[in-house]
Amino acid sequence: MQSSTQPFVPSPVKIRVSNLFFSYNGREVLRDTSLEFPEHAITAIVGPSGSGKSTFLMTLNRLWEELPQCAMGGRVEIMLNGIPQNIYAPDCGVEALRRRVGMVFQMPNPLPMSIFKNVAFPLQLAGEKDKNMIHRRVEETLRDVGLWDDVKDRLAGSALSLSGGQQQRMCMARAMILRPEILLLDEPASALDQKAAEAIEHLLVRWKQNCTILIVSHYLDQVKRIADSVVELHDGRLRNRQVSTSRVSL
Amino acid sequence: MTAGSERVVERLFFAAAFVSAFVTVFIFGFLVYYGLPLFSGGRFFEILSSPWAPHQGSFGIYPMIVGTLAISMLAMLFAFPLSMGCAILISVVSRGWLSIGIRKFVEAMTGIPTVVYGFVGIFLLIPLVRNVFTAGSGMCVLSASLMLAVLVSPTMILFFCDSFDRVPSSYGHAVLALGGTRIQQYLHVTLPCSWPGIVVAVTLALGRAVGDTLIALMLAGNAVQVPGSVFDSARTLTSHIALVFAADNESLEFKAIFACGVSLYLFTTILVLIIRLAAHEWGKYGQAR
Repeated sequence: MQSSTQPFVPSPVKIRVSNLFFSYNGREVLRDTSLEFPEHAITAIVGPSGSGKSTFLMTLNRLWEELPQCAMGGRVEIMLNGIPQNIYAPDCGVEALRRRVGMVFQMPNPLPMSIFKNVAFPLQLAGEKDKNMIHRRVEETLRDVGLWDDVKDRLAGSALSLSGGQQQRMCMARAMILRPEILLLDEPASALDQKAAEAIEHLLVRWKQNCTILIVSHYLDQVKRIADSVVELHDGRLRNRQVSTSRVSL
Repeated sequence: MTAGSERVVERLFFAAAFVSAFVTVFIFGFLVYYGLPLFSGGRFFEILSSPWAPHQGSFGIYPMIVGTLAISMLAMLFAFPLSMGCAILISVVSRGWLSIGIRKFVEAMTGIPTVVYGFVGIFLLIPLVRNVFTAGSGMCVLSASLMLAVLVSPTMILFFCDSFDRVPSSYGHAVLALGGTRIQQYLHVTLPCSWPGIVVAVTLALGRAVGDTLIALMLAGNAVQVPGSVFDSARTLTSHIALVFAADNESLEFKAIFACGVSLYLFTTILVLIIRLAAHEWGKYGQAR
């Protein structure tokens, strides 16, 4: 999926993590982790199960704050609208941050409402009232994820009636409808068959033109196919595995 | 588990369900049987709509029906928002020790005997109502319904909390990850998903509010009259049963308490059916959104 002839041009830094500590129930999950993530690139995060990969993603949109018994230290700086922003600064609104940093979970998590309402939901949460605009954006986004033709005649039907692959693509559409600058994906294809997983990989490679993507993945083949860089989480620390202009070596 | 023992367990469950259903039907039959002298000759509807004047041969329970309706409905009107607000605080807004502390406190409240609520009502609430509203003795519909609201709220709060907690956390994370607030999460996802549990809680609380005897007996004043305002004294059907129970058990006055029982029975059944029907219709509307 990636051209091997492109010259290597270092991308600007999109996310800068400094001295990150994280503990859950008193158990240290991340310790003294510092790393930078390039803009408009797909960075894969690999590591053994339970090593804290999902937790690390949640430090980038502050979702861990919704979990009990967690504690975090360190600094996370993200370039939002071209301005570096400490996302844990008191003046950084968490809802606004999460609209700029989208997230897709391991298991598809459609909400118990219609397909249309699921995809339009982030716009509704953001207070968007223009119905024409909402309809247009829902159609655009569903077309983008390749789901429009499958669901255009049953947009009012329950999202729970979709297949697993369709649900995950719908969740990706929902995460992308606000056009976030960063997309965090926590093993998005782990519950899907190969065809559905490939469809999602194609999407991600296309989306990185407009978005910085961090993906947790257990599938080395998938990482090789789509990742521009790989970081490994081992023993509570993140470290660059290897960066290549073409393919990632694992 | 072997097939044989599974059959035994199945039959035990069936027997339990049958006994529960049979007891309910048996109680209704018992009430109708003993109240027959009053129901015969089409007098049942007369009893429901006429006043209580036993010395003039009138055993109507209309004032008590109105009193029951007024006190229990007003109690629900106070209790529902109070319980919903408290449940939202416990399960949606607060976290950690505050949430756990309030929940433990509410759980403890469910164990307090009704008579204690009654005493608190007599010594604290009634003087307060009397002084603030300067309307009569303070023993009135308002006092009884306020204390009844406090009595039924803990059960409703705990049921609401359980319903909220049963909503899959993945729904909550989805909303929050999309930039929603906890209140938006509650309004758009938690509340619609908790609807069946909320209906059960309201039904149970309403049953308790209608069926409770002591609070109304101690705080409502027990005057046999149709209350014209919330500051008027009133008597509920349950209080009426308790007060008339000492009468000669062969008298028509005594038989009238069976009419009260039948009315309470029908009244709660109709209310439960209305709530379930409304919930069903609302649920259909909610799904179609």
